[in-house]
Amino acid sequence: MKRLLALGAVLVLAAASIVLAQTSGQATLRTPAGDRPFTYVQQSGQVYVNAEEVVAGLGGTIAPDSSGYKVTVGGATAAFGPDSRYGVVRDDLIEMPVPPIAVEGKPYVPWQFFQGFLARATSQDAAWDPATQSLVIRPLQRDAIAVQVSVANVQGISKIVLTLSAPAEYSIVKEPQAYLVRFRSPVRAPFGDQPYEDPNIARMTFAANDVRIQLTAPDVAGDAYRLENPPRIVLDFRKGAALAPVPGALVPQKPTEAPGIRTIVIDPGHGGREVGAVGPNGLMEKDITLAIARKLAASLAGKVGARVVLTRDDDSVVSLDQRTALANQYKADLFLSVHLNAAVVKDAKGSETYFLSLEASDELARKAAETENAAAASDPSSDLKLILWDLAQQAYLDESSRFAQAIQEEMNAATAVANRGVKQAPFKVLVGATMPAALVEVGFISNAEEEAKLQTDAFQDLMVDALTRAVQRYKTEYETRIGLIQPPAPATTTTAAPADPKLPAKPQSAPQQPVPVPATTRTEP
Amino acid sequence: MLAAVALLAAVACGKKKETPANLNAANRVAVRMVRLYYESPQMLLVAEPRNIALPESPAAAIPVVARELIKGPATAASLRLFPADTVVRGAYLLPGGTVVVDLGGPTLQQGWGTGSHQELMAAYSLVQTLSANFADARRVRILVNGSPAETLAGHVSLARSLTPMPVLVEPKSR
Repeated sequence: MKRLLALGAVLVLAAASIVLAQTSGQATLRTPAGDRPFTYVQQSGQVYVNAEEVVAGLGGTIAPDSSGYKVTVGGATAAFGPDSRYGVVRDDLIEMPVPPIAVEGKPYVPWQFFQGFLARATSQDAAWDPATQSLVIRPLQRDAIAVQVSVANVQGISKIVLTLSAPAEYSIVKEPQAYLVRFRSPVRAPFGDQPYEDPNIARMTFAANDVRIQLTAPDVAGDAYRLENPPRIVLDFRKGAALAPVPGALVPQKPTEAPGIRTIVIDPGHGGREVGAVGPNGLMEKDITLAIARKLAASLAGKVGARVVLTRDDDSVVSLDQRTALANQYKADLFLSVHLNAAVVKDAKGSETYFLSLEASDELARKAAETENAAAASDPSSDLKLILWDLAQQAYLDESSRFAQAIQEEMNAATAVANRGVKQAPFKVLVGATMPAALVEVGFISNAEEEAKLQTDAFQDLMVDALTRAVQRYKTEYETRIGLIQPPAPATTTTAAPADPKLPAKPQSAPQQPVPVPATTRTEP
Repeated sequence: MLAAVALLAAVACGKKKETPANLNAANRVAVRMVRLYYESPQMLLVAEPRNIALPESPAAAIPVVARELIKGPATAASLRLFPADTVVRGAYLLPGGTVVVDLGGPTLQQGWGTGSHQELMAAYSLVQTLSANFADARRVRILVNGSPAETLAGHVSLARSLTPMPVLVEPKSR
């Protein structure tokens, strides 16, 4: 069967090759372990290398797949096939100038395949040297990334911000009473070793590509997230409720806060040059989402007693990643993204509410996570944490579903427009949220009738009232479920029974003002 | 195989050789009925059968079908989802069932301003069309202008491959 597969793969590769002028010969695979010959072919200026010989030289394996080949080097597997300029490693693409070909029944790939594969899988670089006809493998040398450090302690939380001169790949490893930020590329350290007079952070040490954060006590728990523009890694540390001693990576977890819905992030969709959908009469989605979000923030602050944060409070561009990063940064308990819909069906109308669909998009991600999970046990530098962050919302899907249901039901009750229901979709703005999160489509701006309504205060207020009730309802249901507040007494007893002084009082929170986005978290258009 | 034989000879000689382009399965064409998915008045994906000339090789046929989809529906019974100026720059079937579709065109490049419903349906019309017509196509990774893109219009994540969502398809077209 394996022979048949190999034959099939070779036939397909042979069929896919279009042969022009070519030269061929022996080249040298130059690795830190030594030199080794392999065969190459050059046609139309492109160098193709014998994949089997190069993989063997790298200590890996190559095997035919149903329609191509799978290559494993250093524990990472990539694949390439005929007629395709793209190989794949995990869910990442390796771009090649031209597709692979078959020569003498053997697969030959553009040398750039190994450049892309090794860079992603083994932090090595591959480069073709035409002068010596060598494929040179060496450690990946990226420009050193400058790191700036700031440390602050606010209300018992120690916040470390590592500001990077360029985006960088990294992982975070939990060690006994320490955390290690391990970069995949060289970093330029601001200092070697620095002690801190901080209740949670003892010292910080830069060594090679690592930053070690030594904590003051074993029960100091950490939390981390990323921000962009400029790229930053933010780590929060606090005493108590230490994370479970998971060897390997720091798993994103909701920090231990006072239970209940305390902070709500409202996300007005689009902004700046990203106008969103435009109605038949020119109304822009970004303007109406901002108007509704501002009203909603004021309403929630007054009626729900929660801290409310807007991801934007003006007509500016905020990246999708940054919106959820902001919610994570504020340790929000709820995230609601407000949008207007558009469809090619001109009379489409009504509201609909989404929460994240991972099953539609994450088959490969789950496989990658499983692979990384296994690898993490033995390889502390694995990408497990990054993958988990990427799927952070997965842990909150049940609550997100309940939240979305409350929103949709209140929207239905408030309006006579069509109920389009609760749906799931792989929406980017929901992926990284570490709290229950939903996206509401208030109405169809593409429908001229709804477009006209959407710009009126009366309709916006109606929507805001419905969304406020939805948040209040979800908050009450959630806090009842976790035992923070008592469920309402049966109707037969409520009118007659006197107030029970032993019952815990419902949290009385003073109305709070919406919190605008700090300027430092904005992306200007 | 002609190519392989030609290359074998070339390798053996170790000299520059001129060999003709091979005739292969990608060049053999037959008329075949395909199912292209557009939006119905019920706002779900509905299949439009269409006879088109297709290469026998799936690898060569996939970009043809993707381009046929982007042309838009042939009847008024269904509606075009992608912007009219969208182009399919390339489409490739990778081992393991991932199809990479590279889209381009002025609207996608400059920023497509539409709502999440149309964006969702557009992305999944492509996913549904390719998976319905090619058994090996199990998921679709969408690129824009040759590079990974965050979204098409600010909503649907293109960071990972998309697999078919039957809930978006009319029952009769599943």
